[in-house]
Amino acid sequence: MTILTTKTQLLNPLIQLKTPLPLKFRPKMASISARLDNSQQQMNLSVLRFTLGIPGLDESYLPRWIGYGFGSLLILNHLLGSDSVSAAQLRTEALGLSLAAFSITLPYLGKFLKGAAPLDQTTLPEGAEQIFVMSENVSVAQKEALAWATYVLLRNTNTTSVLILTQGELCIRGYWNLPDGVSKDNVLDWFKSSIEETGLSDLTDTLYFPQTADAEFWNILPQGTRSVLVQPVLLSPNPSMNYMGNIEGFFLLTSSMRYAYNEKDRAWIRAVSNKLRR
Amino acid sequence: MLMVFSISSQSRADLLTLGLAVTNVLTGLVWLSIRPKSITPVGPQGVECQEIYSHLPESVVSEILWVWESLSAVTCCKSLVIVYDCQCIVQIGVAAKSLNIDEPFAVDAAKLMQGSLYQGVLKSGAQSYMANLSLYPGRSELPFLPSNTQAVILQPLGDRGIAVLGGDTIRGFTTSDQTWISYIGEKLDATLAKYMSSMPSVVQE
Repeated sequence: MTILTTKTQLLNPLIQLKTPLPLKFRPKMASISARLDNSQQQMNLSVLRFTLGIPGLDESYLPRWIGYGFGSLLILNHLLGSDSVSAAQLRTEALGLSLAAFSITLPYLGKFLKGAAPLDQTTLPEGAEQIFVMSENVSVAQKEALAWATYVLLRNTNTTSVLILTQGELCIRGYWNLPDGVSKDNVLDWFKSSIEETGLSDLTDTLYFPQTADAEFWNILPQGTRSVLVQPVLLSPNPSMNYMGNIEGFFLLTSSMRYAYNEKDRAWIRAVSNKLRR
Repeated sequence: MLMVFSISSQSRADLLTLGLAVTNVLTGLVWLSIRPKSITPVGPQGVECQEIYSHLPESVVSEILWVWESLSAVTCCKSLVIVYDCQCIVQIGVAAKSLNIDEPFAVDAAKLMQGSLYQGVLKSGAQSYMANLSLYPGRSELPFLPSNTQAVILQPLGDRGIAVLGGDTIRGFTTSDQTWISYIGEKLDATLAKYMSSMPSVVQE
């Protein structure tokens, strides 16, 4: 029984993704680079929070309220100030008001930190549908391996769409934008021709684009893609390898979040790609 | 409170500005957050081994080797033992030394399956993660792992087996490692179940 349920789950085209995708409208945000360097990307930034201990109050906006409050007190102080206002006081107030303005914008800036509350950033790729297609001439064992690999990648990482090309066979799963006029039968052909255009089949190194611009450079990627990872499927090094090289194909993973794949995710994805070699 | 009004307006302005500066600094600290003390891995003491039950078909063996290769490359796992259908199928990595000989400690599958660790994991059906092995009394049920194993994950394989993973760092397995290990466990269970059911049952010595 166990085998049956696992199989039906693996072959079900509609999979529950790891990150739930709310369908709300996201305004376009200008990209501001955060000041943290790369080594701190994986840190859990919610370790220290302001807590007043009041349930239901979102303390991440506390700097904003403090900015408004102290700023208005500063202005009040200036207006009610006795007699002449010294130059020193004016300097202090200027500094205070600029600090207050900065405080007010802090929560807004916090949203751009790499890794800050990543779940809020996921969106459904517009106009995309969930598909699950596989090439026809694959062996049963290969079919199972492909189904399991795509299933695990979609469930365990922040991936919304995955494409695997190995030994000339394709497996595509997740949310993809299919252009109009591509019927169910032509899907595989359309993907094959698009892949040839990109030239990804000759890739030897892992490519990771944590922040793509909204205009995707490969027309194959679904809209709303923010991170792309391409992992070649490498054969194990073998001295008797022929001149064609040791690449068997590649994995293409896209996500609607920026910085979707950290070091550990990439290591696991490499491990999964090793499963499909041979 | 009334004292506030007796100080000059400049001092009040200074205090407010100071308060704002402190708020900004604290927010900066929150964003940076404090890095926890880094924990060094402890090299496991024992004997390297790679023993796989010989009657398994090639595809199952290659899958098991893939699992071991992934776990040792990505996580802090240094020892892997798989027990399925009351037999020890796999013992790879560093194992404890058997009493005075330089051989790996043989896994007593029957004893393991009757022990409280296995029974507990079987009943809950979920993975069990012992992040700091020295704190757990159940340690005595895993004599085949090196004595200085720091963390252990017990992954049930369906209801017929268990995978024991020994790590070399306290709290070395992250949450994402744990989810990956549970998915790999399900896959292994599916593979082993398919092949073990067609095997003649081996007589226990």
